Amino acid sequence: MTDAARNFVETYERERDALPGAGLAWLAARRADALRAFADAGLPHRRLEDWRYTDLARALDKATLSPASQPSGVVELPDAAERPSIAVFHGIDRHVAIFVNGRLQSDLVAELPHGVTLVQLAEALGEPWARPLVETKVATQAGNVIALNTALMRDGLGLHVARGVKLDKPLHLIFLANDDGASHMRVLVRLEEGAEATIFETHVDAGARSYFVDLVTDVSLARGAMLDHVKIQDESAEAIHLASLTAELGAAAKLSSFSLTLGAKLSRNQSFITFKGEGGEAHVNGATALAGSQHGDHFCYVDHAVPHCSSSTLFKTVLDGASTGVFQGNVMVRPDAQKTDGRQMSNALLLSRDASMNAKPELEIYADDVQCAHGSTIGELNRDAIFFLRARGIDEHTARQLLISAFLDEAFETVSSGAARDDLRALAAGWFERHQEKTS
Amino acid sequence: MLEIKNLHATVDGKEILKGVDLTVEAGSVHAIMGPNGSGKSTLSYVLAGREGYEVTKGSVTYKGRDLLAMNVDERAAAGVFLAFQYPIEIPGVTTMTFLKTALNAQRKARGEEELDAPRFLKLVREKSKPLNVSDDMLKRALNVGFSGGEKKRAEILQMALLEPSLAILDETDSGLDIDALKVVAEGVNSLRSPDRAMIVITHYQRLLDYIVPDVIHVLSKGKIVRTGGKELAGELERTGYAEFAA
Repeated sequence: MTDAARNFVETYERERDALPGAGLAWLAARRADALRAFADAGLPHRRLEDWRYTDLARALDKATLSPASQPSGVVELPDAAERPSIAVFHGIDRHVAIFVNGRLQSDLVAELPHGVTLVQLAEALGEPWARPLVETKVATQAGNVIALNTALMRDGLGLHVARGVKLDKPLHLIFLANDDGASHMRVLVRLEEGAEATIFETHVDAGARSYFVDLVTDVSLARGAMLDHVKIQDESAEAIHLASLTAELGAAAKLSSFSLTLGAKLSRNQSFITFKGEGGEAHVNGATALAGSQHGDHFCYVDHAVPHCSSSTLFKTVLDGASTGVFQGNVMVRPDAQKTDGRQMSNALLLSRDASMNAKPELEIYADDVQCAHGSTIGELNRDAIFFLRARGIDEHTARQLLISAFLDEAFETVSSGAARDDLRALAAGWFERHQEKTS
Repeated sequence: MLEIKNLHATVDGKEILKGVDLTVEAGSVHAIMGPNGSGKSTLSYVLAGREGYEVTKGSVTYKGRDLLAMNVDERAAAGVFLAFQYPIEIPGVTTMTFLKTALNAQRKARGEEELDAPRFLKLVREKSKPLNVSDDMLKRALNVGFSGGEKKRAEILQMALLEPSLAILDETDSGLDIDALKVVAEGVNSLRSPDRAMIVITHYQRLLDYIVPDVIHVLSKGKIVRTGGKELAGELERTGYAEFAA
C-alpha cells in the first residue's frame, strides 16, 4: 500500500465514529466494506486498464493528505476579474449551496417547491431513497475508487424530487477550497417519476493551492425523470480533482451531463451510466482546455443493459504547453439491448509540440440490431485559417482564440440552458488570453 | 501608394519572383496578367505577408512605410487587403462574428473606437445588400459550404466593410459564372475611389471587361515584361501568352 492509501485508512480508523450517518447500521457496514475493498486494491495506478493514462496513486503520494480543515471566519473569494469561473452562472436565477473545504458552509435553501427535499448529507443518509444510491454498483474497474469516498464521505447533499415535480430553479453547488488537504464529498440525487431538475456545479480554489477533492455524485432517475447537469472545474494548478458520477436511468429517463475542465494539476472525471429501462437517453459531453503541465482525464462508461436506449458522448480537448489530455470511453451493449443507439467522439486540438492526447474510445457490442459509432481525432490549428484571419487584421492571439473557441463550440452546443451555455462560452473565450498571460 | 523595387522572392527555396518593379498610384486600378506559374499569386502573397514566401532582395514601400517589415495583421490594419483566390473555410466561426472581429480589430489598431453591435449590424446590412449577401449567409460559418460565387461575394463584402487603401484581387473571377462575375465586378467598381488603389490579378481578359483597369502589366517568369493601357488586354486575348511563355 502506498503512503497515501495508508493515510486514508488511518483517517477512517480515527474518524469513523464522527462521520455522518454513524448511527446507521447499514451505512457503518457499508463503510467498513468499502474501506476493506479500498485497502485491498489501493489507489488506482497505470497498470489498471481503466487507469492506463492517469496515475492517481503517484500523484496523491506527493499531495498533502490530512483532512481539509473546517473553514473558520470569512472565506475570501478570489477576484472575479482574475478567476472568472467564480462568477459563472451568477446571472441566472438559481438556488445556491456553498461548500468550503468539503463542508457545507451556507444555509440550505429554505423555500423550495412542495415535493422537493434538499438536505445535508448526514440527514440525507437517513432517508429511505438514499441507501440504494450509496449502494449503486459500477460494472467496471474504474468504479473501485468510489469505495474510498464511501468509506470517508464527510459532507454533501441529498436532493429528492417527488413524482411529477419540477425543481423551480437550477441548484448551483459551489465548491471552494481555502485550505490544503483532502475532502470527500457525496451528492445524492433521486428524481421520482417524471420529476425534473437542473444542477450547476462550480469548483474553484479560494486560497488553497495543493489539495485533493474527491466528489461522488450518485443519480437515480425514475421513469421519465430528467436531470440536466453542468459542471465547471477550475481548481488550483496544484490541486487534484477526482469526480465520479454514477447514474441509473429508468424507462424514458433523460440525463444530460456537461463538464468544462480548465483547472487542477490532475483531474479525472468519471461517468458511469446504466440504463435500467427502455427509452432512456444519456448525453455525457465536455470541453477541456489545459496548459502548462496539467493533466485532464475523462472516463465514460455507458452500460446499455436494456433495449431502445440512446447515448452520446462528445469530448473536445484543447492542449497547450506540456499538458496531457485523456479520453477513455466505453459503450457496453449487452445481448438484450437491441435498437441501441450509442455514439462517442473525442476531438483534440494540440497547440504545442509538447502537449499530448490519449484517446481510447471503445465499443463492446453483444446485440446485433444496434447503431453504434465512435471516433477520435487529434489535430492542430489550421495555419491557412490563421493567415486568413490575420490578413483581415485580426492579430495572431485573437485569431488563435477565435479558432479555439470555434473548435470547442460544438461541445457547448450540447448544453441545453442558453444562459449557462453563454457563460461557458465566455469563460472558454478568455482562456487562451489568461493562460498566455500566466505563462509569459 | 505602393512602390515595388527589384523584388525577388522564393518559395521552398525556389525563386519565383525575379526582380519585379511596380508603382501603383492612389486612385488607379492596375491589372496584372500572365500565364500560369508566372508568379502572380506569389506576388499577392508576398504583399500580404504569408508565411513561407521569403523575400530575398528588393523593397516594397507602402504609403512611405516599409511594407515588408510589417506583420500580416499590421499590413491589414494599415489598409492592405488581399481578396483570396481560394477563400479559406473557417468552421465554427460565423461570417458575422468574423466580420465584426476583423473590423473592430482594424479600428482598434488604428486607434479608432470599436463599433457596438447595433451600429455594426446596420453597417453590415447596408454593405451586404448590393452584393446579394443574405442574412442566412451571414449566420453560417465563414465560407463553409459556400458556393464559389458566395465565397467571392463574401470576399468583396469584407473589402467593402474594411475599406482598404490598397486592394489586391487574386483571380477573383475564377470559379464564377457570368452573372456572379457581374455582381462581383459591380461590387469592386463601386469601391473605386481617388484614395484607393487596386491590383487586379487575372489570367483572363474576361474580368477586365467588367473591371476596366488604367494600366495592364504582363508578368512572366517572375518579372514584369510588358506594361500598357487597357487595350493590351484585347491584344493578349488574340495572341495569348505564347510570346511570353518559356
